[in-house]
Amino acid sequence: MSSNSQQKLDQMVKKGTCELAPERELWTGIEQAINQANNHENSDTGNNIEKVGKAAWRAPTFAIAASVFVAITVGLFAYETGKSVQGDALIAAMSEQHQNQKQSLLIRFKDRPAATNNWQQQLDELDEAAAAIKKALEEEPNNPALLKMLKNVYEQQMAIIERVHAPTWNQA
Amino acid sequence: MPADLTLIKKQVSRSSEQQVEETQLIAAAKQQDVKAFKALYDQYLNMVYGLCLRLCADKSLAEDATQEVFIQLWRKIDNFDGNSQFSTWLHSVTSNVTISYIRKQRGWWQKMINIEQSSAFEEVTYGCLEDVQLEKYIYKLPERARWVFVLHALEGYRHEEIAKTLGMAVGSSKAQFHRAKNLLQGWISDEQ
Repeated sequence: MSSNSQQKLDQMVKKGTCELAPERELWTGIEQAINQANNHENSDTGNNIEKVGKAAWRAPTFAIAASVFVAITVGLFAYETGKSVQGDALIAAMSEQHQNQKQSLLIRFKDRPAATNNWQQQLDELDEAAAAIKKALEEEPNNPALLKMLKNVYEQQMAIIERVHAPTWNQA
Repeated sequence: MPADLTLIKKQVSRSSEQQVEETQLIAAAKQQDVKAFKALYDQYLNMVYGLCLRLCADKSLAEDATQEVFIQLWRKIDNFDGNSQFSTWLHSVTSNVTISYIRKQRGWWQKMINIEQSSAFEEVTYGCLEDVQLEKYIYKLPERARWVFVLHALEGYRHEEIAKTLGMAVGSSKAQFHRAKNLLQGWISDEQ
């Protein structure tokens, strides 16, 4: 290793790191967590510190739950396809699997009357939502919140197809 | 009075005013004043996010970790006793909360996929920061080597403190730092 590269590294460290700003607006989420903590505190003045702590943990718990959700999704894909996928490959695999399942379901219910007339329109709207989420995922392919949203949209489509084609006696 | 001295006195005076203002904001935040806490957030957001990003090497994770740091700060601000600079104390809170947060998040991911081997992960990591050479290299470091390098070289932690924070032996911290330096020098050398 040349002493030149060591010198350059020392210079870089000495110069310090630059200030970086997040792209996402972060305060709203923090404020919500803080306000939740305060509300809980006002409703019960005992054990204040404990209450603040518990409520403050609630927001990150959602993030953890989202990550768990996606991790399970990834795991299911890995189990079903026999290979581990991530990023763009995961999104492509999710979309492909969803299309296959959707087509199978549509073929299955082809001859069965639909309970509503606008179910195709609902599917189209959800397709548009999926397209918008996939566009956002192009920027951040491993964003757990976006992956969760995409999976939710796909699940909603499947639920609509099943619900509108369910036998009349089985409809709510 | 020489002009330089006047300027220095003005700067010292301004710095003292800022110190007083910060002390007032901290005191108000301790009394659960959200507006005062928001002012502290505005003042320290970039510092906290910068450290989170260097430790996480992932934009999205760093943003989540930044939120977690400030939520924890709201909870723990009473623990700040004023014996050190607030920024120094906040650096320490940020490091501890972020590393703990990464471990919680990564635990789930790594059971399913090896996210660090994902090329998409690398793009997200430093795609937006190509112009910042040291930052770019830091994000390429393996996780433990990166943590040790950031905490020791950039944050000024002693290896004993790092070992305690990361739950590793002091010797391991030194070894990881050596590894990080070698990798960084190698990458610098390749680009020369």
